[in-house]
Amino acid sequence: MSRITVENVTRRYGGTTAVDAVSLDVADGDFLVLLGPSGCGKSTLLRTIAGLVAPSEGRVLVDDRDVTDVPARGRDLAMVFQSYALYPHLTVARNIGFPLRARRLRRAEVRRRVGEVADALELSALLDRRPRELSGGQRQRVALGRALVRDPGAFLMDEPLSNLDAQLRTATRTEITELHRRLRRTFVYVTHDQVEAMTMATSVAVLNRGRLEQIGPPTEVYDRPASAFVAGFLGSPPMNLLAAEVIHRDGQLHAVAAGVNVPLGIAVPRRSPDDAAGEPARSVLLGIRPEHLRVTSSAAAMTAATDATAAEAAASASGSDGPVTALRGVVRTVENLGSEEIAYCVVGDGEVSVRARRPAGFAVGDAVALAVDPGQTHLFDRESGRRLVWRPDPHPAVPSARVPVAT
Amino acid sequence: MALVIETPAGGLPAGNPSAPGDPGGPVTSERAAGATLAEGALAEAAQAGGDGPDVPGGRSRTMTIVGHVALALLGIVCVFPIYWMYTTSLRRPQDVYKLTVLPWPLSTSSYSQALDQLDLARLMLNTTIVAILTAAGQLLTSLLAAYAFAVWGFPGKRLLYLGFVGTWLVPFQVTMLPNYVLLHQLGLLNSLAGVIVPNVVSALGVLLLRQHLDSFPKELLEAARIDGRGSWTTLWTVVVPNLRAALTALGILLLVNAWNEYFWPAMVLQRGPSVLQLGINGYLNSAEGDNWGPLTAAAGLACLPIFALYLALQRHVINGFVRSGLR
Repeated sequence: MSRITVENVTRRYGGTTAVDAVSLDVADGDFLVLLGPSGCGKSTLLRTIAGLVAPSEGRVLVDDRDVTDVPARGRDLAMVFQSYALYPHLTVARNIGFPLRARRLRRAEVRRRVGEVADALELSALLDRRPRELSGGQRQRVALGRALVRDPGAFLMDEPLSNLDAQLRTATRTEITELHRRLRRTFVYVTHDQVEAMTMATSVAVLNRGRLEQIGPPTEVYDRPASAFVAGFLGSPPMNLLAAEVIHRDGQLHAVAAGVNVPLGIAVPRRSPDDAAGEPARSVLLGIRPEHLRVTSSAAAMTAATDATAAEAAASASGSDGPVTALRGVVRTVENLGSEEIAYCVVGDGEVSVRARRPAGFAVGDAVALAVDPGQTHLFDRESGRRLVWRPDPHPAVPSARVPVAT
Repeated sequence: MALVIETPAGGLPAGNPSAPGDPGGPVTSERAAGATLAEGALAEAAQAGGDGPDVPGGRSRTMTIVGHVALALLGIVCVFPIYWMYTTSLRRPQDVYKLTVLPWPLSTSSYSQALDQLDLARLMLNTTIVAILTAAGQLLTSLLAAYAFAVWGFPGKRLLYLGFVGTWLVPFQVTMLPNYVLLHQLGLLNSLAGVIVPNVVSALGVLLLRQHLDSFPKELLEAARIDGRGSWTTLWTVVVPNLRAALTALGILLLVNAWNEYFWPAMVLQRGPSVLQLGINGYLNSAEGDNWGPLTAAAGLACLPIFALYLALQRHVINGFVRSGLR
């Protein structure tokens, strides 16, 4: 049982910073997924925890014990590598027993524990084979077995599923989740696959260019992304991000741009009649998930599809009851996913993807009007990319960043 | 009412015999057309005299034959001196200067003469000791140095490596005299140890093994570290077992080099124990002038252990040299 704490860890390679002042705390029994695009430093961070890479700055603690200078073998952590790193000259049994032999356990004890692990992983029939005689899935199990046999405090996994085919990956994903539930051990798992992150993790840490963007349960990371990067990384297709201005209109805040007029559901009491005119507009990134956009009409008749004034007119005409048309665009391409359809629409000078159950009736060239529930809109600061929240201050009428702007 | 298999609207896909409907005409006729086309192509190829490439983009047969003939000639040129050595050694003493390709009548008198005049067993033993100890020492130092260079990062690594490789470029003649003086001071002249000790480090070995170790999967080394092995035990339990092919190949190369070494033993062993290469040389300077029969016989015998070694480990040698790294 291990709790892993990373304190302000930085790792530099020459002039490049692979991991940049990352701090995180993995509670005992947690399943933490380090998620991010390739080159974001997630593997380096995992290797730092494992003791394979020394941090340039910062500390690593396991159960509140500072292990920054402890070699890998003294940390009570097991690791599963992307390539599995099975010893090619040893049989499956000797591969699994390798960590135990390194710890000079008695031979009978080694054999007993290898047998147990092999039973659990259904490898008993393969114990005398060598790694090159195994399939990818079997190799993956042996690598898992070599980690399990040590009964370590925590498991570190570096993209363990990336070499498996899609079907096997899904099955193994379930098995690892099952394993985590049964063992109640701490898992730290590196992946660039958001499906793995969403399905397996109890908490997800999203990394970008060496920095920690957000850490939280999968639902929170998906539903309330802390930055435009997280919003644009998660989801398939990811969240639509549109450059827009937040303005006052009819006692409400609206995000507007060419073809975009989205009410944000934030009522602003008008203090004086000329107040609205005097407010400076704030530049933001407006985020809307593709599945939260609804088609209100395919509006083939609409000629001024990308005309903002038309959108405004439609919005004010429809009033508060019924779906409010928030975006107008033209379908550029349509993808059929079987159960769903994704339409990529040109809205203003940007592109918006819309996800809908089939048959949604999208056709290339159609003009579409889209609506969104104000509660399902997200705002991000244009410069820093951080999430913006509305704080009803007595004075400023413009939303301010909850998180201090980081450069 | 019955359930029927849906028929695609656009008619039957051609050449699908299991589809219901018209079982006949267009499909078969199309096949026949295909067959004649293929036959035509074959006939064309036959007319071209079989000179076309077997594989698209491959070489033509003529080129292949020319290549093989050239290689065969080169092979003969390489093998001929060895063949001539054994032929000469098997001629009668009075036939030694004959130029017949086959030595006839056969005679072993050269061999008995060589065995009489030289203590071949003693020479063979000395050479074996020198060759095995030199090669083993070189292999061990190369392995340790290459492992350090390939796996560890330390300040001055590049410079040290360049220095190491640089010693390979220094000609033997430059180090010969200092080594000789040092051996004299150590009192190792005229002993087999004097032949072995200055040669236990081979820059070539470090160079070759480092190439192999650089392509050794790093994750294996990391896995061993996680699994609780230190650097030293990782070397022996993970690296060496997976490097056997390269180590065998290098070992044979070093052994053959040490076996054939002439100049350095000739300097160190002016009195006292001798090695094969020196003993054979004795014939060239003997009182009766060039004594080709026993000379070739002794040389032929000296080659046999190397041939045997090569035959036994041929597969490893080829693997080790052809593949630049581990798979």
